[in-house]
Amino acid sequence: MAEGKGGSFEPEIIAFTCTWCGYPSANLAGINKIEYPPNVKIIRVMCSGSVESCVIMDAFENGAHGVIIIGCLMDNCHYVSGNKKAEERVEALKELFDVMGLDSKRLRTEWINASERTKFAKAVNEFVDEVRALGPLPQMKKAREAEPRTAEQTKEKVKQIIEDTSAFDCVECGKCTTVCPIATFDPNFAPRTIVLRAMEGIVENIATDRDIWTCFACEQCNAMCPYKVDYSGFIRGMREEAVKYGAAPLCSQGGLIHSVQRIMANADLNQNRLAWVKDDLKVADKGDVFYFVGCLPHYDAIFKDRRLRLKDICESAVRIMNKAGITPVVSNDEKCCGHDLNWTGNESDFEKLMEYNVDLIKKSGAKKVVFTCPECYRTFNSDYQDLLGDFEFELVHISDFVKQLMDSGDIGADDFSKTPYKFAYHDSCRLGRHSGIYDSPRQLAEGFSGDNYIEMERTKDKAVCCGVSAWANCNAQVKKMQIDRLQEAKKLGADKLLMFCPKCQVHFDCALRDEIPVDRSEVDIEIEDFTVAMARLLSLMEEPKKEPTGTDE
Amino acid sequence: MEEGSQATDGKKRVAAYLCGCRGAISRHIDLESIAKELSISPEIVTVAMHDALCSRDGQKFLKEERASKNFDRVAVAACSPNIQGLIISRALEEEGMNRYLFEQVNIREQCAWSHADRDEATKKASKLIRGAIARTMELEALEDIEVPILPSALVIGGGVTGMQAALDIASEGFKVHIVERSDELGGRAYKLSMTFPTHNCGICCMQYCKECVFTPKIEDVHQNENIEVLLNSEVEEITGGFGDRHIKIKTPDGTVEFDVGTIIVATGTKTFDPSRILELRYENKDVITTVELEQLIVEQRDKGGGLKRPSDGKVPETINFIQCVGSRDKVKGNLHCSLVCCTYAIGQAREIKKVLPDAEIYIHYIDLRGPYRGFEEFYDQAKGEGINFVRGRVSEVVEDHGKLFIRALDTDSGDLLNIPTDLVVLAVGQEPADGSDVISKMLHIQTDIDKFMKDINPMFPSEFRRGVYVAGTAQGPKGIRYSIEDAKAAAASAIDLMQKGKIKFPRIVAFVDEERCRGCGRCRDACEYEAITLEEDKEKGVTVSKVDEIICEGCGACAAACCNKAIMINTFKREQVEAQIRALLQEAEADG
Ligand SMILES: Cc1cc2nc3c(=O)[nH]c(=O)nc-3n(C[C@H](O)[C@H](O)[C@H](O)COP(=O)(O)OP(=O)(O)OC[C@H]3O[C@@H](n4cnc5c(N)ncnc54)[C@H](O)[C@@H]3O)c2cc1C
Ligand code: SF4
Ligand code: SF4
Ligand code: SF4
Ligand code: SF4
Ligand code: SF4
Repeated sequence: MAEGKGGSFEPEIIAFTCTWCGYPSANLAGINKIEYPPNVKIIRVMCSGSVESCVIMDAFENGAHGVIIIGCLMDNCHYVSGNKKAEERVEALKELFDVMGLDSKRLRTEWINASERTKFAKAVNEFVDEVRALGPLPQMKKAREAEPRTAEQTKEKVKQIIEDTSAFDCVECGKCTTVCPIATFDPNFAPRTIVLRAMEGIVENIATDRDIWTCFACEQCNAMCPYKVDYSGFIRGMREEAVKYGAAPLCSQGGLIHSVQRIMANADLNQNRLAWVKDDLKVADKGDVFYFVGCLPHYDAIFKDRRLRLKDICESAVRIMNKAGITPVVSNDEKCCGHDLNWTGNESDFEKLMEYNVDLIKKSGAKKVVFTCPECYRTFNSDYQDLLGDFEFELVHISDFVKQLMDSGDIGADDFSKTPYKFAYHDSCRLGRHSGIYDSPRQLAEGFSGDNYIEMERTKDKAVCCGVSAWANCNAQVKKMQIDRLQEAKKLGADKLLMFCPKCQVHFDCALRDEIPVDRSEVDIEIEDFTVAMARLLSLMEEPKKEPTGTDE
Repeated sequence: MEEGSQATDGKKRVAAYLCGCRGAISRHIDLESIAKELSISPEIVTVAMHDALCSRDGQKFLKEERASKNFDRVAVAACSPNIQGLIISRALEEEGMNRYLFEQVNIREQCAWSHADRDEATKKASKLIRGAIARTMELEALEDIEVPILPSALVIGGGVTGMQAALDIASEGFKVHIVERSDELGGRAYKLSMTFPTHNCGICCMQYCKECVFTPKIEDVHQNENIEVLLNSEVEEITGGFGDRHIKIKTPDGTVEFDVGTIIVATGTKTFDPSRILELRYENKDVITTVELEQLIVEQRDKGGGLKRPSDGKVPETINFIQCVGSRDKVKGNLHCSLVCCTYAIGQAREIKKVLPDAEIYIHYIDLRGPYRGFEEFYDQAKGEGINFVRGRVSEVVEDHGKLFIRALDTDSGDLLNIPTDLVVLAVGQEPADGSDVISKMLHIQTDIDKFMKDINPMFPSEFRRGVYVAGTAQGPKGIRYSIEDAKAAAASAIDLMQKGKIKFPRIVAFVDEERCRGCGRCRDACEYEAITLEEDKEKGVTVSKVDEIICEGCGACAAACCNKAIMINTFKREQVEAQIRALLQEAEADG
């Protein structure tokens, strides 16, 4: 952290200035010897509209205390509307900042004409004062990045991974390729060849091999392999090594989401996770049942323009529990489970999150932790317990949990109204293949469906994925896969496709919004969260307002 | 990964230079200590200071450095990269360096001149150069984009501006197409009874008068074999980019299509509609605009001269001109001054005085503006001829028992005036021609806050923007002389471009990593310039984004919109910007 002469806190401020107005206004201030604090470091960009949220977050992660974007006057952007786009982006980012507990006042936009040197100086002066008053931020990054591994070390490690995951046993039968959903859409991709390349020991590959990031660890191949090669484990290990060798993972959103998660791992900010808890919801600080919410509030902010309302999921879960007389613990201090970091080669930050969350749950005195998110569930159930041994508290996915509540009579089968729509259920890979939960969702669905439940063709352990995992891969092939999955549901006559995974929802929603190569009617299907659907059928949540995508200002 | 490294082993090596700016920097910043701190490493080949890098001596120094040392990229801490930076990078380029491997940060305006504390300024400057070095290490060598320019031009609008530009371009042997939406060439100027301050005839073209020698003439345009005039026509569609645009024109005989290398926009203005200001009683027949006065004069000149008012044909005894109608009026009209109405209203008043010497003429003004040579003399003569100038805004035109009154405050005397009048003339201001917004959208021309098309740099007339020039009153109100000046400047630039036949410009444009692109179309929707299309890659069986480098302006809106970061801007890639920021935020090792 920067310190002033008197030892007082001096904030580091990054100012993004556009080439046409922001930058010249700063220079003009200099030419006229107008003083402003040296805290302000100027980064020239072509247009304020080009400043990406991930770059802003990266600045904070690396020690910035405030970021100001300075562009042309509104309606006077050199590139027509860049400043308006910047404004919208910053508004969404401010919401994310609020959730994270980074004061959104640390982000500012100013629209200044090239000639307005005094306005420039005034703006940055004010901003520096404001951020100085907000005070320092905790260290948000690992104290020191380890030195990149040498080729020799990496070679050794890769050997170890191959051994640990039984990849040596591969007899090149090619069964994995026949089931791999990526291989279906991208003829150049074959799980087997990634292993082959690794076995050849060409370590330089590891930094440039995109395939290790393309796989989404859906475990279709694991399930199929006659020699039980642990492909997903292999991929995860290789990613870890790639990162240690100095390769950056290819991440959607430019790594914004991973940045947020790393910040959570390394800094204890005063988060604002519980804004969704409405007055009539019964929640507690201590108790037997801990509801682990995950990053739903974050995603609502990150995908603000999509209006996904993922927070309905947590509200629904709590309402269902309340109905059964349970007052769950929800914690404002919860952190990301670390799933995405774990799957993008960042073991150390993952472990920090793990220790933190486990400690938090222990302190709450909970005997049972309920999850709506399949990834959180898998991460606790498999990854945490692999590393820490079995927990004293029980881990339950909401589907099993509601099933239990019905079995015990706390929720009656008659409490559910019957679905007025035909629907199918999408097995998310983290819940299905990774965690073996296939039955409860189906039993629940059959319970409230009347006979409106449709089983997908490719179902249970053969279910095709949403195409993306850990935000590490997304491309045209993935889109094909998503469309294919949606077409499958539509063709079977479903009006809705229910699923538990919020990320599956985000990714399918993406496909629905995209320019697509098939007729819209072939994928015209509603995506709904399973927990929310249950709450609606129990009349605990309102039906969604039919709101067309677009503005509702 | 990157190519283009000049060093033989392909490793990235940077040289860092600190400029003292003949004391302007070195007096305020301790450059020596910065240079000392920047330790030489395998990556940083050399760190050196110079008194003035942009001077001839400085350029020579850089060339020698480049020739004698083994580096492929350069980071400079000096003044603004937008100005002297070009001189410095050009010098290095002459010695064979790829100029995309160059980064300059400004420690003069942004440190030496804005932070009085020497230590603080030095500390910040040290960080800035570190940021520059870090960014430089991430840069990639690139080639400029070269585009051919077709030898033909489109002129939109056939007023004096359009005609002049067309004649100039045609005279150099290039094909010109003029598109004029009305049924005749000439625009506004050819509908005026007189033009001022010269007091010459504007319509007849019957004789060789002084005025006509200098203004472009309709017949000249029609006769020129290089010029195709399309009347009653409008632009339907423009596709393509810099140097080669495909034009579709809707004409009475169907659609006409052709390709051009340059375009001149000369769509002119329309006058303000005074019925938008209710107090001016424009619905009354004897409240007319200056444009209608022109028509009245022209009509009555044919019938033997004189001036009769529209309602009853009576010769008006009192005439009141109201200035700034719709101009300089943020609330009811436009904020801008229309620049020509003071001149022509005085001119019209003087003309009326000539035919009706006994008429009482008042001109109500806020202040008189005529930033032209000869205007003051012109005004002085008008006062001498007995025209009454009243300073102050007219609050209302009142109709009482069939009579008109002007209510106004004379701010010089403080008197509230209530002047009975026979005729009211509204000096209406000017706005961009109808549909000029459509043209600016089509060509991605920025508009100003007043909705007129905007210059890239208001200091230069018709600076080129990828072969498109805005000239005449389409850019803002101005007199004929200035419109013609604009036309000539635009034509000269277009001619220059077409004569060269090609142009190079920096490859600071978007590019797509096709393996990452999911063909969602978000980048395309974010692009104001329609530079992006989604195209099917048959071989791979996927649809991905494609950028037309010639259309792309490099704004980066697409890059920020892409979820996948599959589209990026050269030299402003995420890694490049992030490297710079991270270095800025890192505490210098020496700081402890
Ligand atoms: C009432 C009045 C009096 C004036 N008196 C004087 C004076 O005394 N002295 C002086 O120096 N200046 C005077 N001016 C200013 C003078 O008229 C302008 O400087 C001059 O006419 C500008 O010429 P232009 O070609 O730029 O625009 P215009 O004359 O407005 O010509 C534009 C042409 O483009 C055409 N057009 C517009 N849009 C399209 C389109 N989308 N597609 C195809 N064609 C299109 C129009 O039909 C028109 O023919 C006066 C202006 C007004 C309003
Ligand atoms: S884990 Fe899934 S995506 Fe990855 S290689 Fe196996 S089948 Fe393909
Ligand atoms: S390069 Fe810039 S800083 Fe150096 S002498 Fe020239 S003007 Fe001054
Ligand atoms: S030129 Fe004169 S009348 Fe016209 S807007 Fe300007 S000040 Fe008003
Ligand atoms: S926004 Fe990105 S992923 Fe979408 S089409 Fe454009 S480049 Fe491809
Ligand atoms: S950089 Fe700007 S102009 Fe170029 S393609 Fe992207 S959005 Fe369009």
